[in-house]
Amino acid sequence: MGNEEEEEELVAEVEAVEAVYGTDCVLLSSFPPHFHLFLKPRTADVSSQQFVEAVLEIRATSQYPKEPPSIELVDCKGLDEQRQKHLLNYIQSKAREISPCLMLVALCEEAVEKLSAMNHPDGDCPLCLFPLVPEDQQSESLPFMKLMSCFHCFHSECIIRWWKWLQNSKESDSANTDSTAAHRNQDKHKKMEESVGNCPVCRKPFLAKDLDHVLALVGSYSSQLSSDNEELKDEETVLQSEDEMIRRQKFEAILNLQKENSGLIEPKKDIVILPGMYLPQPVAMPSSTPTKESDEQTQNEPPAVVSGKQAGGTSNGASSSRQRNFGPRRQKARSDNHSSSTVRNTRKPVQQWVRRDSPSNKQ
Amino acid sequence: MTSSSGAARKNLSKIACNRLQKELVEWQVNPPTGFKHKVTDNLQRWVVEVIGAPGTLYANETYQLQVDFPENYPMEAPQVIFLHPAPLHPHIYSNGHICLDILYDSWSPAMTVSSICISILSMLSSSTTKQRPEDNDRYVKNCRNGRSPKETRWWFHDDKV
Ligand SMILES: [Zn+2]
Ligand SMILES: [Zn+2]
Repeated sequence: MGNEEEEEELVAEVEAVEAVYGTDCVLLSSFPPHFHLFLKPRTADVSSQQFVEAVLEIRATSQYPKEPPSIELVDCKGLDEQRQKHLLNYIQSKAREISPCLMLVALCEEAVEKLSAMNHPDGDCPLCLFPLVPEDQQSESLPFMKLMSCFHCFHSECIIRWWKWLQNSKESDSANTDSTAAHRNQDKHKKMEESVGNCPVCRKPFLAKDLDHVLALVGSYSSQLSSDNEELKDEETVLQSEDEMIRRQKFEAILNLQKENSGLIEPKKDIVILPGMYLPQPVAMPSSTPTKESDEQTQNEPPAVVSGKQAGGTSNGASSSRQRNFGPRRQKARSDNHSSSTVRNTRKPVQQWVRRDSPSNKQ
Repeated sequence: MTSSSGAARKNLSKIACNRLQKELVEWQVNPPTGFKHKVTDNLQRWVVEVIGAPGTLYANETYQLQVDFPENYPMEAPQVIFLHPAPLHPHIYSNGHICLDILYDSWSPAMTVSSICISILSMLSSSTTKQRPEDNDRYVKNCRNGRSPKETRWWFHDDKV
């Protein structure tokens, strides 16, 4: 090379990239240009509406721009292998197209554009196995959400159903095993902030705040059912305490969203109420569970077995949205050291959301 | 509390039905290697044939898994047992019960029959001795009244490490 003017142009180009992308651009070398670019979809102003992200490494040789730079995906979330390849191929072909002109800013813009077009979850809901975004336009598209921590996506309805299930199991577990109510009350507040469950796919523990954006939806279901479901009168105490919890979580959700958007709140597309959800009478409430228990509904017993255990090692599971194979997971059985005892398993779920089949009672 | 027998099973919920039908279709398109689903019209109980993986202690041996789905599958794990005769394995009791965490405490609703099968086959494949669990006789005696393995309080050694 050796042409000073050309080198100056390159330095100016890198400065332009830095000016456009600010801290999303991590410069590793300005000549020849080498940097990491943190990509977010342009449309995702609300982080709960962001389903993909990627870190791109662009590394030019001394032959740049006669020779296109090498482009790699260093990291990504929410993109399965196929979509990763698609994104990369697209940017690489753009690079070949533009060469021998200067291209860094243009490439970055193309990458953001492409990623924005991909800002939807891919594949099937891991809970019901039906596609999150139906391929044919005819099929009805159900609202979906992601867990904020790992970007794994689920139908809102599916994750809520599971979340409710977890709450109920924990509750009946603690009702059966823990008799020191005073102690539990004390911990109530602390526990609300701790992990409420683990991602069904990667088992990464998530916090209540990871579900904030769908908890509002739980609230909608709940108010719907208390207004139009006469037969649930008996359960009023349960529902009331549940409402209490939901109100608080709803408030926190809005507050967090407000912080996220520096004070602005936009309506969220996610929050769609599906008509016809109801909470059936529990089949057999344990008789040892008086109404007082329902006051405890707000509290979350941390799951004794799951919490923390899977925290390491799987954190990057989000890079593939089709991980339903638990193969690589460590299996915790060893030949020399296991035993069983025939104690009745006390875990007993009480209620579950089901979909009302009859067309009556809607809205 | 229900009585201890698995006989008092409730019918599958609508959600469980939809999910199982979906699993069945996917199984037919892409069955896990080494497994054969014996087709019946009973969606709630699958019988799956397992063929020991080549190069392992169970190579060329065939066993049968019985998978029973609860009303609230996949929130609740299915009950998975080996039909008689169960393979000789340090985690498999002679009554067919399997000591495998994902079938009990570590169940996740994102798991499928297919992923369970893969886990069971890998458990078989990694075995270095063909023997029953140490507490086999005591355990099997305790289960004599038809107790489900899901009612067992399993202790997985690694939980304490
Ligand atoms: Zn779903
Ligand atoms: Zn996850």
